[in-house]
Order: sequence, then C-alpha cells, then structure tokens
Amino acid sequence: MIGFIKKDLAMMKSNFKLLGVLILVYAIMGFMGQMDISFILPFMCVMIMISSFSYDNYNKWDAYSISLPNGRNNSVKSKYITTILMTLMVSIITILLSFMISFVNTKTVDYEQIVVTMFGTLFGTILVLSIMYPIIYKFGVEKARIGIFLIVFGIVIVGGFLVEYIDFSFLTKTISLLENYLLFILIVTMIVMVFISYTISKKIFRKKEF
Amino acid sequence: MENVLEIKNLCKKYDHFELKNVSFSLPKGMIMGFIGENGAGKTTTIKAILNIIQSYSGEIKIFGFDNRAHDKEIKEEIGVVLDDMFFPEILTPNDINKAMEGIYKNWDTKMFHAYLKEFSLLPNKQIKTFSKGMRKKLEIATSLSHHPKLLLLDEPTSGLDPVARAEIIQILQNIIEKEECSILFSSHITADLEQIADYITFIHNGEIILSKATNELLDKYGIVKCSEKEFKEIDKKDYLKYKKSKYEYEVLVPNKKEFKTKYTISVIDKITLDDLMVLMIKGEEE
Repeated sequence: MIGFIKKDLAMMKSNFKLLGVLILVYAIMGFMGQMDISFILPFMCVMIMISSFSYDNYNKWDAYSISLPNGRNNSVKSKYITTILMTLMVSIITILLSFMISFVNTKTVDYEQIVVTMFGTLFGTILVLSIMYPIIYKFGVEKARIGIFLIVFGIVIVGGFLVEYIDFSFLTKTISLLENYLLFILIVTMIVMVFISYTISKKIFRKKEF
Repeated sequence: MENVLEIKNLCKKYDHFELKNVSFSLPKGMIMGFIGENGAGKTTTIKAILNIIQSYSGEIKIFGFDNRAHDKEIKEEIGVVLDDMFFPEILTPNDINKAMEGIYKNWDTKMFHAYLKEFSLLPNKQIKTFSKGMRKKLEIATSLSHHPKLLLLDEPTSGLDPVARAEIIQILQNIIEKEECSILFSSHITADLEQIADYITFIHNGEIILSKATNELLDKYGIVKCSEKEFKEIDKKDYLKYKKSKYEYEVLVPNKKEFKTKYTISVIDKITLDDLMVLMIKGEEE
C-alpha cells in the first residue's frame, strides 16, 4: 500500500514546484491586500492528481499494477489517500498563511472566517474528487475531462435556475439553526462522500479487464 | 516432476478472438518458450494467469494454488515483464525502488541496484530518457529484485535490435544459473527461445498446438524435402503439414528416424522453431 502512495507522490514531484509557486503568489497577493486566491490551492491538488491518471494511462500502469501483490485494491486506494493527503497539507499551509496575512494586514486574526472559508473550499474539492474519480475509473481520464466540464456547467445552470425560481429562506433558517454544528456536518459529509466514491471506484476497478 | 504453473481448459471469448481450452504445465526450475504469431493468444493467456483479465473459465494453478483464491500470496512470488505495461515513464529507477520497497515483502534494494549497475542504467534518470533496450533491462531488473520463484515474460525481446536481444538472452541465462526460478517466456522471435527454452508450447488461433521438450522437438521433428512424385508416396499418417514451393515439397514429419526407416527420401533437414511455426500455421494438411 505504502509503495503505491510513494509511486503516486513521486509522479507528482514536478508539480509540487507549481503548487509552491501558487502558494507564493497567494502569499504575495494576500500581503499586498489583493485578491484572495486561497480557494484555488486545494482544488489544484485534485487537478494535479487527475493528470497523474494520464501518465498511468499512457504507460498502462493500471494493468501492470494488477500484476503486483494486492494491486487491484491498492492502486485505487493510493489515489484517494495521496489526493486527500496533498489536499489536507495544502489546506493547512493555506490556513496558516491566511492567519499570518490577516494578522499583518489588520493586526487581528478572524479565525472563524478563515477556517470556514477553507472548509468550504475543502468541501468543494472533496466533492469534485468524489464525483470525478469513479468517472475516471469507469470511462478513462480523457472522457472524464469532458465530464468535469459538463458537471461544472450543469451545476452552474441548475444552480442559476434554482436561485432564480426557488425561495431559499427556509434553507438559510435551517443553516443558521445548524450553525454550531456546521463544521462537524461538513466533515462528516466529506468523509461519507469519499467513502461512497471510493467504494464505487474500487468496484469498477475490481471488474476491469485490460 | 512438480509443476509451478498448471493451466487446464482455459477459455476466454472476445468478439473476434477466443482462447479455446488452453492447457499446459511448466515444471519447476524450467524455462518454457511460449510461441505463436502475433494475436495467437500469448498475452491473453499471461493476462489470465495474472488475473488482469478475470472473466475466463478453466483452472489456473500457480505453486499448486488457485490463482484467483490466492492472488496476493502468489503475486509476492511472481516477477513479470509485460508487453508495453510498466511504471509511468516520468519516474526514475530510484522512484521504482522506493515504491517496490513498499509493495513486495521480499524486495531487495541491494539486488536492484546491483542489476542497475550491471545493466548500466542510471538510477536518477527518468525512464522516458531510456532506449527501448534499456527500458526492457529495467523491467527485467524490477521483475527479479524480489527473488521470484516464477517469471512471466511477455515478449521481452520484441522490438529490440539483435544486440539488445542477445544481451537480454544472456541476462536470462545468467539468472537461470544464479536463481532458483522457473520462466514462462512468450515470444514470436523463436531463435531466442531455441537457445534457452527447456520446453516449447505453441499456440495458434487461441489453441495449443503442441507443448513438448525443446530437445525432443528439435531432435524428432524434421523437414523432408522432396519432389511431387515422392510426396505422393508418403502416407498421410506420417506427416503433419506440407508446403508446396516452386520446385519442391517441404513436409513436416513428427519423427525423422521412423520416417527414414520407412521411406527412401534422403533429404531430411533439421527443423528450427521458425520452420515449425511457419509450417504449422501456413502449411496444408492434405
């Protein structure tokens, strides 16, 4: 299992530089009081990991991985664990930087605001991962790229329609009622989403033939 | 003799191709050449052995255990070189070493680095910078560094120049001398196998045509070269296939000695695996 994660991390080595540069850009923009791009950073981790599927695909790693001990399970598991580890690490770095930026710029730190923003971003990232990975395992990474475009497009269209025609005041009331538990609910929902997504991906890959 | 690999009645159906009751066994410590033309079913058979394809019928036993029920334990003891399937090429041999340390219980880092040195492969270079021969050597080094008891090599010399092919054959010969390992070596380049294989299994159109000891095959089988008149005198039971060329008939006989005692035709050539493959595939029966 560890070996599969090491392989995925090794593949991402060159992309760590890109992440480093993005974090630096975020820090500079933040200290200068410019636009907050922190929401991009965890999302980038998923996008980078999706590119790892292309490398795998090019050298038929998936088929080769099955010839290794417990390859069918570990191949899928490592993709989820590596993505989540990377996303969490980048989120922690971003939160710490946000604290520093907030302190330098305003002499106070709005802990709640920063943590809630980061958890919102993390939730969005985990949602994309949970939808995308089973699609990639089922249809391949090239078709899944079209999939991500359709999903985002669909969310925007459906979201726009709902906002226009449905009264969301009931939801606002419910959210304010649950405010104290919001973080807990977000974390539990993320874990459930990842678990369901992983189970589906594992099932798809277990049946796959090359 | 104990078998490390036993395949019985393996069947797998695709739209345009089918494996039909593939059965053969590989005795311990032996090298089996698995020959057949491109698309004959060699890779499909190897994929079934490794469970890369699953929806097949029949029985595959490795080290005496069912390959599906004991998948994980069996794969700890198998080394593979697969045709065009490997680690992503942005990785380096060092990355492969680190990954394999966490994959195989018996991974031997020292051995892997010794092979890299022997094959002149730089540990920090990305695989994509390697030539095709170097990649194959890296795949072979990777397949050997956990002390496997069975090696499955799918076309390890395909697409290589004669020098690289000779090097790989030499590497395999050295391995056989050093390690206690059985090898299933698939190839359509039969000259490679004549040098090292103890057994030959021949697959054609998804069916096993023959599976025999190489010596027996090369000593017993022969090619009779004769005129049309002479050919017509040969009993159909005494030959397997024949090919008619412009000036003569080439007739594949399964027992040279017997043939010599029965007929007066004097030209009986030694057979090569290439001849055997061509005559079995392209030759006529009657």
